[in-house]
Amino acid sequence: MASNSIDEKGNHGVTTLLRRLAIYLFTAWTTITVNFVLPRLMPGDPIQQLIGKLQGRVTPEMIAAIKAQFGQGLNQSMWTQYVHYLTQLLHGDLGVSITLSSPVSDVLSSQIWWTVGLIGVGAVVSFFIGTALGVFFGWTRGSRADVVIPAATFLQSVPYYFLGTILIMIFAATLHWFPLMGAYDPTLSPEWSWTYIASVLRYGELPLASIVLSSLAGWMLGMRNMMVTTMSEDFVLMAVAKGLSRRRVMWHAARNAVLPSVANLALTIGLLVSGSLLVEQIFNYPGVGNLLVNAVGNEDYPLLQGIFLLITFTVLGANFLADALYYVLDPRTRTAAVH
Amino acid sequence: MKSLRIPRSPKVIVGLIILGIFVVLTVIGPWIAPYDPNANTFIPNLTPSWEHWFGTTTLGQDVLSQLLVGCRVTMVVGFIAGLVATLISIAVGLAAGYMGGRTDEGLSLLANVFLAIPGLPLLIVINSYLPAGSQANPLVVGLVIALTGWAWGARVLRAQTMSLRDRDFVEASRIIGEKRWRIMWSEIGPNLLPIIAASLLFTILYAVGVYSTLAFLGLTNVSTWNWGTMMYWAQSNNAALANEWWWLAPPGVAIALVGTSLALINFGIDEFINPRLRAAGLSARQRRRVGLARRPRLGFTPVLRQSTVDPKKVS
Amino acid sequence: MSLTDANLVLHVSNFSVDYGYADEAIRAVTDVSFSLGRSRVLGVAGESGSGKSTLVYGLTRLLRAPGVITAGDVRLRLSGAREGEIIDLLAATEDDLRAIRWSEISIVMQSALNALNPLHKIGKEFDEVLRVHDGRLSKSQRRQRAEELLALVGLQPDRLQRYPHELSGGQRQRVMIALALALRPQLVIMDEPTTALDVVTQREIVSELHELRERLGFALIFITHDLSLLVELADEIMVMYAGRIVERAPALDLYRAPRHPYTLGLMESFPPLSGERVAMTGIPGSPPNLKTPPAGCPFHPRCAYAHDRCRNEMPPLNDIEDGGRSVACWLHDPASPVEVPVSLSRRGDTTPGGVK
Repeated sequence: MASNSIDEKGNHGVTTLLRRLAIYLFTAWTTITVNFVLPRLMPGDPIQQLIGKLQGRVTPEMIAAIKAQFGQGLNQSMWTQYVHYLTQLLHGDLGVSITLSSPVSDVLSSQIWWTVGLIGVGAVVSFFIGTALGVFFGWTRGSRADVVIPAATFLQSVPYYFLGTILIMIFAATLHWFPLMGAYDPTLSPEWSWTYIASVLRYGELPLASIVLSSLAGWMLGMRNMMVTTMSEDFVLMAVAKGLSRRRVMWHAARNAVLPSVANLALTIGLLVSGSLLVEQIFNYPGVGNLLVNAVGNEDYPLLQGIFLLITFTVLGANFLADALYYVLDPRTRTAAVH
Repeated sequence: MKSLRIPRSPKVIVGLIILGIFVVLTVIGPWIAPYDPNANTFIPNLTPSWEHWFGTTTLGQDVLSQLLVGCRVTMVVGFIAGLVATLISIAVGLAAGYMGGRTDEGLSLLANVFLAIPGLPLLIVINSYLPAGSQANPLVVGLVIALTGWAWGARVLRAQTMSLRDRDFVEASRIIGEKRWRIMWSEIGPNLLPIIAASLLFTILYAVGVYSTLAFLGLTNVSTWNWGTMMYWAQSNNAALANEWWWLAPPGVAIALVGTSLALINFGIDEFINPRLRAAGLSARQRRRVGLARRPRLGFTPVLRQSTVDPKKVS
Repeated sequence: MSLTDANLVLHVSNFSVDYGYADEAIRAVTDVSFSLGRSRVLGVAGESGSGKSTLVYGLTRLLRAPGVITAGDVRLRLSGAREGEIIDLLAATEDDLRAIRWSEISIVMQSALNALNPLHKIGKEFDEVLRVHDGRLSKSQRRQRAEELLALVGLQPDRLQRYPHELSGGQRQRVMIALALALRPQLVIMDEPTTALDVVTQREIVSELHELRERLGFALIFITHDLSLLVELADEIMVMYAGRIVERAPALDLYRAPRHPYTLGLMESFPPLSGERVAMTGIPGSPPNLKTPPAGCPFHPRCAYAHDRCRNEMPPLNDIEDGGRSVACWLHDPASPVEVPVSLSRRGDTTPGGVK
């Protein structure tokens, strides 16, 4: 079970953390490059087709801007285009959204906080509740509490968009316990007032509940497995032999069992974010996920690319935070072992 | 060498039965569908009845027929994507784990990059650049899904291969002078089977989920029936607001059941890989039969005062 | 008899353990009886799977599922504030057990690396047992006590700041021993504490243990598969095979002149710690499958002296000669058709190994 603490090459501590950072930076560069290459190399020349469709529907300046961004008809070498593209990125210039006619960076910075707030809170809440439940069900393995396992397995397999839709149908459309959709009362305008904040919280309840409910089971089942595995370790039996109380023994096991969950956190954030993009679509909630779906529908390539970069960078950052957390939690990553 | 014997627990059996039913439906679904899924000639919004087991949609289509026809596309894409992704992860994982050195460095980096990039957004971006014809082709979509879903399996397989590489029996065949690919295939391969099986189940699960998600978002051809497009049409016709549960529930529950069956089978594989997870012969029924009131607690060995061993077996 | 003798710490009678229930049940320990006097050292020897660990984990109720105790009586005489009290370990409640664990019985496991919580500094392990069992100690008193305990096993106080993975195998095992002595228990159980260590460290630790026991006077049950190690440490040795005691004798007597063919084989599979080298012959075959134990004496398929009776009848553990020796073997039955071989008789007393 110590396999996560030391990386495959036997590196320790800061070295491992720096290696991870290097991988994330490399991944970031790969993403940027993929973003550059895809529209230029895809069969069927999607950009050419788009320009054809847009002809006459948008201003000539806009068409010129798109051409410039995707290197259409400029007779520049790929390399020049690439350098130009990277320079623009460094200045935070992601191009102009075709459908919204404003800079992509402006669009994103106005919408990202909805997503970060909803998905971030949802992820943290479900991680903590799921882990706590996993500890409990791992500890009571073999008792009647085991009946939750098949239920949790089923819940884990329910597609997010289905769960969200059903929650709306039951609790919003039928029982009217929660508002139907949106992020706040449409009669209010965004401002720092108590009414507005209260409305945001109220409208956030059901989307948040759906995120927590859909990812809870995964954390719980994973943690239960780790708890069962850890409980067969000698040091847990040792804790019993030392005459410690049941709660204390459970704590010994749980602190160790949570480590793989934290190690997996990095891997899971990507999945979680992907799945949660749907929440905005279903609840008609503002945010990056909603923008993404609309951008695809409208073939708004500049916006699409900007969103993809933003999501990837956020996930990479979260990954690194998870790695750093693991480093803090497991002393074995910090100091060399005696062999 | 252990043979691949998955514990035959009730969980695994239930999982296999559910999966079996869906596999059968994949084959015969479109043939046994009572109506044409596109026919919009029925009375709209019928609740389930004998004529329409799962009712009809707002557009006057038969839900059961859509579900049965959609089963094939959903499952086929899931299985193809799962298979292709698993093949990639076997190739990458085995090569990286066995060869080590530069090969390993490069392949591991590649896997790490694919792991770190969030899959669904990447898929959406790639998909959106595909020519319209390819977007509508489930096979192409399946292959793109495979491209984004192989890395996790490769990572696990690599770790396992590395630990196997140094074991005695592999060492022995290396000394005898067996060829590399032969050692990989005949010595390491069989020992990886449970992990390959687990990763296949997971990637199929991932692929079914992702494909129907794309379809739900309307990013695949919305006139190809699969479970995701059913939800797409339900959503765009506000089925949830109208409380049309019979339209929403069938595709959602079907996906959840396929997922559950794969997860149940995986329980068996998990217990095979990690024997600590195996329930230690303490099913509640057995316990009651031998007179143990409660489940044995850690550090409190039960005292039965009476052996349950068959006396014939004790000399 | 139940612990009437005030000099006894532990008395075990007819103790049996099963693994699993009903159809899946197998018998792991059968009908074991012994008692242990104050400050005495009992060695338990046998191959892996002989039931020796199952026995001690069962006695302490620490055996994991699917282990079940199916018969017997285990009494422990308490010390300290509860001096004179006798507790029935098999009838004890969870709270009873918790109260006596570590303060009366402590245990040292085979692998210290696995037995120490990897996330706790060594100091925390000491602090925890001291705090839980004696609320009166202040933080600095606990720390001071921990340092004393480390000094007892020859470790520097700075080890308290280390994590288990930062110590060497020998240091870790010493930490475990110090920890086991933290509450001055009167019975310490050691389950192959030196098996994972190199021979030199093994030797050091055994002689340290010898010293510690003289000084502190705890009783010790020491489990190992290495008989030669036991001779240095134990007062009495029990040899187990297939979950039963097959021979019991004072340590030196047993080592000089084993009476059971299995004991002889066990001795020949290890070189003695001191003395000349002898050819290591070991025991042919492997321990029996407890699911389908052979009829008669469980050792007969591997025994060079087996005869018809061994294949059909289970030999009881009978006292032989004087000096408190007993053995479960038909060879020593007066009616045995096979003559007791020299190596297993009194005449062979000086044969195996070059014992001092």
